[in-house]
Amino acid sequence: MTSKEVQIINKYGLHTRPATVLVTVASKFKSDIFLIYKGVRVNAKSILGILVLAVEPGSFLTVEAAGEDETEAVESLVNLAQNKFNLE
Amino acid sequence: MRKIKGIKISPGIVSGPIYYFEHSYLPVPKHFVQEADFNSEWERFQQAVQKAIVELTQVRDLVLKHLDENHARIIEAQLIAVQDREMFKSVRELMQREKKNITWSYYEVMESYEKLLLNSYSQYFKERTADLRDVKKRVVYHLINQTDYNPPGIQQPSIIVCEKISPGDLIHIDHELTLGIITRFGGVDSHVGILARAFRVPYISNITQIDELVSYSEIILDADNEEILLDITEEIKKKYRVRIKEYANHRNKIITRKVANTTKDEIPFHIYINAGFVDEVNALNPNLIQGIGLFRTEYLCIERNTIPSEEEQVKAYRAVLDKMKRLPVVFRVYDFGRDKILAMLDLDLLREDHLFDEWGGIGFLLDNPEILQTQLRALVKASTSGNIQIMLPLVMSVIDVVKTKEILHQIQAELEQEGITFRRNIQLGAMIETRRVLDELEELAQEVDFFSIGTNDLALYLIGTSRDSSVPKNYYHPKLFQALDKIVRTAAAANIPVNVCGEMASDRYALVGLAALGIHSISVSANALENISNVVRKLDLRLTQELSDKILRARDAATIYALLKKFYCEQVE
Repeated sequence: MTSKEVQIINKYGLHTRPATVLVTVASKFKSDIFLIYKGVRVNAKSILGILVLAVEPGSFLTVEAAGEDETEAVESLVNLAQNKFNLE
Repeated sequence: MRKIKGIKISPGIVSGPIYYFEHSYLPVPKHFVQEADFNSEWERFQQAVQKAIVELTQVRDLVLKHLDENHARIIEAQLIAVQDREMFKSVRELMQREKKNITWSYYEVMESYEKLLLNSYSQYFKERTADLRDVKKRVVYHLINQTDYNPPGIQQPSIIVCEKISPGDLIHIDHELTLGIITRFGGVDSHVGILARAFRVPYISNITQIDELVSYSEIILDADNEEILLDITEEIKKKYRVRIKEYANHRNKIITRKVANTTKDEIPFHIYINAGFVDEVNALNPNLIQGIGLFRTEYLCIERNTIPSEEEQVKAYRAVLDKMKRLPVVFRVYDFGRDKILAMLDLDLLREDHLFDEWGGIGFLLDNPEILQTQLRALVKASTSGNIQIMLPLVMSVIDVVKTKEILHQIQAELEQEGITFRRNIQLGAMIETRRVLDELEELAQEVDFFSIGTNDLALYLIGTSRDSSVPKNYYHPKLFQALDKIVRTAAAANIPVNVCGEMASDRYALVGLAALGIHSISVSANALENISNVVRKLDLRLTQELSDKILRARDAATIYALLKKFYCEQVE
């Protein structure tokens, strides 16, 4: 299992549009991927799960993956978050 | 007495008790399901999801093509949410654990997501529940057979009070018992507004004191003055009684006698009806009227928040044709102006944009041929049910008609191969409502079976929005009357009928002018029918020849208005 913490720097947090990008990217990996925020763990391939986390701007969350491409998955999601999910 | 101010969405004035209902209300049945039926329930759910995916994909592609990627992403999010695997898992688990039907299980799971979102601290996230609700509504819509729709259970005539009312609610409520509507949210350009006006239900929005209203046993809803009256005394009631009675009479005005079919001097005259909803048509008595001169098909999309499938369209068109027996029904293919696209997408975010301004009419459909093909196929299929005619809105050039006819012929060939029966000689008409098409009228007359003049847009194109303050309406303009004369002459030379379906036709003075120019076929809204029919009965066309010469020589709107008013008062009244 691989995990890493990342800060969400988008203006409104992890809202609909970044969440859409995140799910799209996460779904390309074979590993099970989870996001952990304030003790709540959700599937990173579930947009509904991510939305209800209501991750606020500036806060940190943990990306966790288990499976054959776990390192790559965590790296690419962390990068994505650092790049504001290619938005803004 | 106390007054609360709001915004008028649909005019009128009524008094009565309140019926409060929560908009979160969706007609979700809840019942026991045996284990043996789990799989068929699941299959039903997957089919509903598939339908929602098809619809959302179509909407996303439209937005992507005509707006931008940013807005398309919002639809993309709904598209992803509707097929969320985690959600699927929860739904399946809930169904199996509770042994309850799939619609209820799905609804419960989606509700739990909404609640979590509403509990978040950020206002921004709270507002995103709208996206989830939209997804939920779409799937539930497909899960519930529409005949099972259980509308808000009004028991006695009441004014509906709610946070927000959906088009589905408005279509299915008992219109006899719905006196009026008051909501906290909802705008003038929303599809609910269009529906409320079509059903003539007074409606005020932007009322923040919804909770307060609920404690009153009787209130007055005065949409005309944009206010609600509370703590009404007997004295106040007396004061408002006349207006309320007048409005009730107007609203209930049904056609009690046959619509006029000739003028006083026995020249044949056609008065058709403008409609946009199947329910509206159901309220008409085919024995008293002459047919539907304009059926606005885009209202079907507004009703459904999407472009309906071919089957759904065929069903709707057949329902209209069946109801009208053998009377002619002119279906205008989708006329998506900006306002209607927005209403259909129902995205508040899009309301700020002006990019949709150039959208509209047959041009838009030719740019999106898959939408036009589906609609034409549905219309041709439905043609066996009655006297169907097809009309093209906002024709800019004869090429628009030629291209549409090519598609129509191709569809007929396809249907023939598929062994589906249809009527071959469907009349095809063009709406004359742009300045550009006036230069190609003669050529156009050779390509179509009839002209229908949309005077609202034509006046706008010819005169602009500036209004001569000396006349009540901008259509009393010499430029417009000269254009009308040209259209009538061209149609006569080509031996095709010409009809007017704009607001102008239901104005008694303007109607005299139209008749004088030789227009003997009009289409008006159902509530104008009785008055207009009475004018036509009293109109003697032998007297209008001189009038027509004078109108065409007039140099300003004031002169035309004076001429028509004088003629009306002396010869018709």
